[in-house]
Amino acid sequence: MKKRTYHNPVGVSRYTGLLLVSPFIAGFLVFTLYPFITSFLLGLTDYDGIHQPEYIGLGNYRYMLEDDGIHSAVSATLVYMLILVPLKLIVSLLAAVVLNNRIKGIGVYRTLFYIPSILGSNLAIVIMWQFLFTSGGLVNQLISAAGLPDVSWYGSGIHSMMMIVLLRLWEFGSAMILFLNALRDIPCEYYEAARVDGCGGVRCFFRITLPLLRNVIFLNLVLQTISAMQEFNAPYMITGGGPMRSTYTIGMLIYNEMFRYHDAGYANAVSWLLFAIVTVTVLIIYRVTRRSREEYI
Amino acid sequence: MKNNIKTLAAIGCCAITLYACGGRKSNTVTLPDGHLDPCTLRFSWWGGDDRHSATLEAIALWEQLHPDIHITPEYGGWDGWTEKVSAQLSGGISPDIMQINYDWLINMSPDGEGFYDLERLSSFLDLSGYDDDVLAFGRVGGHLNAVTVSVSGRGLFYNSASYSRFGQEFPSTWSELMQLGDIFGREDMYPLDLDTQSGGTEWYFAVVYIQQRTGRTFITMDGELGFTQEDIEAALDFCKELEDRHVIRKVREHTDEDGSSALYQSPEFISGRVGGVLEWGSSVGKYEMVLPEGDLRAGPLLTGDNGESGGWMIKPSLMYALSANTEHPDEAAAFMDFMLNNTDCAQLLGTTRGIPSSRYAAESLESSGDLTGLAQENADMLGSVDTVTISPYMELSRMKEFYNEAIEKVSYGKADTGEAAREMYDAIVSYLEKIKK
Repeated sequence: MKKRTYHNPVGVSRYTGLLLVSPFIAGFLVFTLYPFITSFLLGLTDYDGIHQPEYIGLGNYRYMLEDDGIHSAVSATLVYMLILVPLKLIVSLLAAVVLNNRIKGIGVYRTLFYIPSILGSNLAIVIMWQFLFTSGGLVNQLISAAGLPDVSWYGSGIHSMMMIVLLRLWEFGSAMILFLNALRDIPCEYYEAARVDGCGGVRCFFRITLPLLRNVIFLNLVLQTISAMQEFNAPYMITGGGPMRSTYTIGMLIYNEMFRYHDAGYANAVSWLLFAIVTVTVLIIYRVTRRSREEYI
Repeated sequence: MKNNIKTLAAIGCCAITLYACGGRKSNTVTLPDGHLDPCTLRFSWWGGDDRHSATLEAIALWEQLHPDIHITPEYGGWDGWTEKVSAQLSGGISPDIMQINYDWLINMSPDGEGFYDLERLSSFLDLSGYDDDVLAFGRVGGHLNAVTVSVSGRGLFYNSASYSRFGQEFPSTWSELMQLGDIFGREDMYPLDLDTQSGGTEWYFAVVYIQQRTGRTFITMDGELGFTQEDIEAALDFCKELEDRHVIRKVREHTDEDGSSALYQSPEFISGRVGGVLEWGSSVGKYEMVLPEGDLRAGPLLTGDNGESGGWMIKPSLMYALSANTEHPDEAAAFMDFMLNNTDCAQLLGTTRGIPSSRYAAESLESSGDLTGLAQENADMLGSVDTVTISPYMELSRMKEFYNEAIEKVSYGKADTGEAAREMYDAIVSYLEKIKK
């Protein structure tokens, strides 16, 4: 094999380079690799989080087959992901397209659209959601004013799921920023040439904008999917996983097993299940979209 | 290729070394040295605003008396508190002095090694004001892990304004309560509220009802299920009847109206639409605070039509424990002693943690005429009937999940009471077997 040589323009020695990256390496070893491996090993034990773990092999993984809790959690997480991710991609893309136009005060709009992403699902937002969605809340008052029957937001499975989805959908700022940057990289000449050929705005969007955004769509799709599958905060704070476990995500199950039920061994095993599900999902997305992405490279 | 193998081997070695280094070390117990040194101690508790402000005043008094021993308070509401303390204990960063719940002893110190052995600290912690049977609540594996602050039970408290509206007395029997559901229901109001969340009062209420009828204890002190599957089914039938007769809100309605708020923060309770609550005598202050003064009143403990009065339950409502890793055991014990026995401190704390089990604190309140109010009324009522001591196993979070899941299934019509009872019975038996291994 041919030996690689690297150009070193500033004359920094190999050891100086290693010294400079050592804080990252130390951080990676302590805060990523160590918990990662420890988590796998603890998943093979019966461990209450306080006393000495006891090795039980694949016992925790076998228990997953008969545990209704994990079945509900996987199902709720997948439903949540399947509803949220497409909606978020569509909303953030549309917002980015609108904000890519030359509108007066565009900077203010961009900031306003990004603010919900900074707020996240903190306590103030949860209290606001409470005011909006409880049975006497603002949303139901508006629905009643429109002559429609009240919606059972907290009490019905699908509606409580939609409440969580709406909270996360509202936080579309990060995905929007990625789209906005990619939109600005598309040369204006493409659109000008298309208009000369009689192409309208909608056709331009589908024939030029969308194809040229494929890689960013893929990136956003992967990031949003991973984030949706790790969801914990919103259902924990707003619905507590209910009603009837309809919003009980895998993240919530891990938390409950670890801190509420003191079954740290099982919680760690479920973390690895989540890791496997996320990996497989991302690989599927990668395989399914590879051809269309490569066409435009 | 060789380099790749070397790199992988290096990463593997690092990982194994890190894991080996990170193995849990056993607790290092700092032994008492017999005198108080200047230090800072952390003290954690949960509760409502009444308890928080009284405790902060007590801490200020301690710091006046001991300016060298500073107390850092850590406090909040009940929701999420168990998880927070579990994480602190797992990480070895628990506060020096902790207010703990009775069932935590099973999870956090099953062998008695999870908390400091308080009997080593007799120089600073005076336990002469306690009855032996009350002290026994905190003994695990031969070690005194915790001291009971108060013994309490859940009782019924009603919004007198809601009851006056219908010209009704507080119920004294189960059947009177059912009839009130019909009366309150005419104006879409409810005589009582029970929940299926962290409090789990709906199942508690049903257990009292069945214990009173059958004389059997739901779960014994040594963790055996005392109810039969038929008893559990009868308890679920009772829950369903409470909902059907408009005594309590259906689970769905409750969830829709309150969201994730606790009942004392709910507009339905504050407005008086929901006219009653089942609550610990030691924690009822937070409900009292949100209503106009004097509106919340203690009601009688319900009895059967033939005067059966048993089945109501008591337990050490709160306990104090010291961290097994505290570096200042003497100072922490002295502060615990102050919180439990000091008469001036007792005056400040009042009944915000229930009626004190310490004779010194109770006598102080009695002599000043402060042993009054809802907590005392509740204690008097519980003292007048044959109570059952709650098994700590009944209060475990996993067990509460079984109860609440069964009630939700029945309330939402996803299962009949027989099916839900069978699932719950099997789940409880299997979990109790596992946890007692």
